[in-house]
Amino acid sequence: MVWPLLRRLFRTVLAVWALASSVFLLSRHDANTATLLFLPDSSESVATGNGNAADYAAAQRAVQHRLGLDLPLFYASQQPNAPANTAQWRWNGTQNQYHRWMVRLLHGDLGTSFRTAQPVTTRMCSALGFTLPLTGTAALLAVLTALALARRLAAKPWWQHPVRAALVAVHALPLFVLALLLLLTFANPAVVAWFPAYGLDQLAADSDNWSRTQTYLLHLVLPVAALTLAALPELTLQLDAALTQELRTDYATTARAKGLAEGAVIRHHALRNALLPTLTQVAELLPAMVAGAVVVEVVFALPGMGRLLADAAAGRDYPVLVGGVLLTGAARLLALLLADLLYFWADPRIRWQS
Amino acid sequence: MKPHSSAFFLLCAAIGFCSQSCSAPEGKDLAIRVRCAYDPESLNPLQLPNQQAFDAANLLHVSLLQADFSKKEIAPALAEALPTAELVGDSLTRVSYRIRPAATWDTGGPVLATDVAFTLKLMFCPGVPNETSRLQFGFIQGLIPDPHDPRRFTLECRGQGTEYQQATGDFFILPEAALDPQGELRRFSLAALQRRPQNAPDSGLAAVARRYRALAPGKLPGCGPYQLTAWEKDRYLAFRRKANWWGSRLRPTPFVLQARSQKLAFVIIPDAATASLALQRGDLDIFPQMPAREFARLRKATAARPALSFYSVPSYDVVTAGFNTRRPALADALTRRALSHCFNAAGLLQATQMGEGQQTVGIISPLDRQNYNDSLAPVPFDLAKAEALVRQAGWQRRAGTETGWVRTRPGSKQPEVLQVSMRYRADETTFATIALQFKAAAASLGIAVSLLPTEAGSFTTALRTSDFDMYVRTLKGNPFMFNLAPLLHSRAIGQSNTTGYSGAASDRLLDAIAVAENPTRRAQLLRKFQTLMQAEMPWVPLFFLPTRIAASHELTGLHVTGLKPGFALTAVERSAKSTPTP
Repeated sequence: MVWPLLRRLFRTVLAVWALASSVFLLSRHDANTATLLFLPDSSESVATGNGNAADYAAAQRAVQHRLGLDLPLFYASQQPNAPANTAQWRWNGTQNQYHRWMVRLLHGDLGTSFRTAQPVTTRMCSALGFTLPLTGTAALLAVLTALALARRLAAKPWWQHPVRAALVAVHALPLFVLALLLLLTFANPAVVAWFPAYGLDQLAADSDNWSRTQTYLLHLVLPVAALTLAALPELTLQLDAALTQELRTDYATTARAKGLAEGAVIRHHALRNALLPTLTQVAELLPAMVAGAVVVEVVFALPGMGRLLADAAAGRDYPVLVGGVLLTGAARLLALLLADLLYFWADPRIRWQS
Repeated sequence: MKPHSSAFFLLCAAIGFCSQSCSAPEGKDLAIRVRCAYDPESLNPLQLPNQQAFDAANLLHVSLLQADFSKKEIAPALAEALPTAELVGDSLTRVSYRIRPAATWDTGGPVLATDVAFTLKLMFCPGVPNETSRLQFGFIQGLIPDPHDPRRFTLECRGQGTEYQQATGDFFILPEAALDPQGELRRFSLAALQRRPQNAPDSGLAAVARRYRALAPGKLPGCGPYQLTAWEKDRYLAFRRKANWWGSRLRPTPFVLQARSQKLAFVIIPDAATASLALQRGDLDIFPQMPAREFARLRKATAARPALSFYSVPSYDVVTAGFNTRRPALADALTRRALSHCFNAAGLLQATQMGEGQQTVGIISPLDRQNYNDSLAPVPFDLAKAEALVRQAGWQRRAGTETGWVRTRPGSKQPEVLQVSMRYRADETTFATIALQFKAAAASLGIAVSLLPTEAGSFTTALRTSDFDMYVRTLKGNPFMFNLAPLLHSRAIGQSNTTGYSGAASDRLLDAIAVAENPTRRAQLLRKFQTLMQAEMPWVPLFFLPTRIAASHELTGLHVTGLKPGFALTAVERSAKSTPTP
C-alpha cells in the first residue's frame, strides 16, 4: 500500500513539474506583449514625445532588464543569425530565466508579480483567503445536499419528476446567468434587497467583531448559493442515476426480500456502490476550489483566485499566472490521487495494479 | 413546535437579519465612493499603469500644473503661476517655474526646486520602475536652479514647441529628503543619468533604487491633499484628507487645490450590472463611464431617478477605424476613401451610444472651436459613392460566378483582390457593432470583410506588428495637446504610427504644428491637416464618445467634463441639498 502510494506521489510531483515548466517556457514566448503592456501605448493617445522608435526601444529594453526577460530563456538557445559553418546552438549556462525560476521555486519563491511588484506567494495566499471559504462552503453544501437529495429521489417520492426537471433546468443555466439572477432578485431594491450587492464589507472599519462576521456571512450568501446551485444538479443527477441502477440489482432485491425498508436498502447497501462515479466528481471539486470561480468573483466583486488569474492572463503577469497554474495543476493531480484512494476505500476489489 | 412552523420562524428571522444588515450604510461611513472597474495595480507615480492609478495618485501627489475642470484649462498647482517659455536658438526651449511658497511636505519642510530636480533624476535612475516617465519626459534635459531663490528654476528642453509649457508641468513632484537623504542623485546631472547605461554599477544609485522599491504600495510620501488609509487589492482604496494640508491654507483656494471631501474611496466592482445595483442601493456614490443602455434605462426608471443625478458631456475620446496603408490593396487613398463611405457613423452613434456623442471630421474634438475644421463635413454613409470610388481606384468586378473586386497593377501579373480583415478588441461591444455594420455594408458592394475580434493584449501586439488590414479602436485626445506626430509621422512608423501612413506634406505639417509659434498659427495648420487627412484617409474618425456619469443626488461640485476621469474628484462633496439634474 505504502510503496504504490509513494510511487504515485512521485509521479504526481513529476507531472506538476513538467506542467509548470511547460507553462513557464510557453509564457515566455509572449514576453514581448508583456513588455508592450508595461509602456504607455503612444499609438492610442495624443501626448508628448515625437514618436521616436529608438526611445521606445530603449524603454522596452529597460523593462525587459527590470523583469529579468533580457536573459536567455533556457540552458541552450538557437542562434537565429549564426553563419552556416558555426554552431547553431549556444550553451547559456545557469544564467537563464528557467534556471533562476527553478532555483527560486525550490526555495518556495514563486517570483514577483510583473504588474504589482508584490511577491506572487503573498498575492496567492491573500486571494486563497477569500476563495477557499467561498468555494469550500459551496462544495461542502453541494455534496451534502446532493447526497441527501439523491437518496430521497431514489426512493421515488411523488415530487421526483418535477425536482429532476428543475435540476436539469438549473444545470442548463450558465453560471453568470445564475449569479446575475440571484443578484438581481435578492440584492435589488426594485425586487428584494435582502443581501448586499458586492464585496465583502461596506468599508466600515470601526465596527465590532460580531458585526463584521455578520456582514461577512451576509456577503457570502449569494455567491455561495450561486456556486452551490451550479454544482448541485450534476452531482445529484449522477448519484440519483447510479442509485436507481444499483436498486435494480439482485443484491438490492435480496435485501428487500429480507424485509428491509427502501431507505435502509439505499443507506446500507446501494449507496456505497453508487458513490463510485460521484467520487470522481467530488475530487474534481478540489482544483475548482483552489482555482476560484472567476464568474462569481466578477459578478459579486470578490477578490479571489479566479479574478487574480484572469487579470494576470489579461495583463500578461506571467509569474502570477505560472504560480496559479502550478497550484491548480498540483491540486488537480492531488485530486486524482485522492479519487484513487477513495475508490480503493469504496470498493476494496480495486487494486493499485489494476 | 411543528417542523414547518420552526422553518417558517427561521425564515422570518433570516429575512429580518438580512433586511437589518443590508440597508444602505447611511451615516455609517461618510466616504464618497467611486466605482472603479479594475484595481490600480500600482501607485508608483513614475510608472502609473492605468487611469485608475493616475486618479488615485492625483490625490496623493501634486504636479506643477493640473487641469482645472471648472474652466477647462491648465492651471498652476504646485507652481505659483503658469510658466514662461523662452526659445533658445533653433533647438532648445527653456521653461521657467516658481513653486508656491505655501507648498510643504507632510514633515513641514518646503517643496523646493531641488525636489523637482530629484524627481527628474529619479525618472532616469537605474533600478527604479520608471520606464513610462523616462519615455514621457525624456525631452527635459536639464534643470537650472535660480541661485537666489530656492523655489525658482528653469527646465531646459530639447526641441521647440508651444506645448512644452504644459508638458513640463505634468509630473508628480517627490520629496528628496525622504527618498534620498544622502543626496546620492546630486552627484549626477540629469543629462548624465539619461546617458547612463541601465546596468552600469553604482552603489549610491542602487541604494536610492532599493529605498524607492522598498516603500509599501501607496506609502510614498507626497504633498497631495489625501493620504492612503487602506488598500485592499481588488476591493477598495480608501483615502483621508490630511488634517493640515498646505493647499487648504491658501485663500482663495485655487480650484485645482481644493479637497472638499473628508474621505474618498475607490470601490473596485468589475461588473457594470453589479455597480449599477450598488449605485441604486446607495452603496456607491459615483459611477463614471456607465454603459449607454444602463444609463438610459436608469434615467427613465421612476424608482432610481429621484436619488440619482445623470450627466452626459462629449469626451475627447474618438472612435476611429484605421487602415494598414502598407497593404497593397489599401495603399491608395481612393480605395481607403471608398471604404470610409461604408461606415454609417450616425447610425452607429445611435446604436451604440443611444445618440449621445458627436460625429467628427477628424481627431480634433468639435468642442474645440478654434482648431476643429468646421468647413469639412463628416464622411457620409454613401454606398453609391463608395462603389464609384472603388471603380475610380482601378478595381473591376470579377467576371463569371465569382464575386468581389480585382485589379492588376502596372508591372504586376498577379491580380489584387479587394478583401479586408478588420481587427478590434473583443471586449468592446461598440467595436463589434461597428465591425458588423461595416461588414454588412461592404458585403452589399461585393467586398469581403472578415472580422477578427481580438483579446486586448494581442490586439496591441497585432497593431504593433502590422498584423491587420483594418482596425477599430478609440484614440484618446485632450484639449491641451495637439502633437499628432507620434500617430502619423513617418518617423513613428513601426512604433506608434500603426497605419504606416506617411507623406511629405503630412510630415511637414506635423512638424510645423509641433513648433507653431502661437495658437492661431497652430489652428491654421491643424485645420489644413484635417483637410489633408480627409483626402488621404489613413483612418476614419467616426464619432467622439460621451462621458456618462451617474451620481448620488446628494453630491455637489462634480464639474463633469470630457477630460478623464470625467469629474473633479477633489471638488466633490456630500451635501444635504440635492442638485438638479441637468
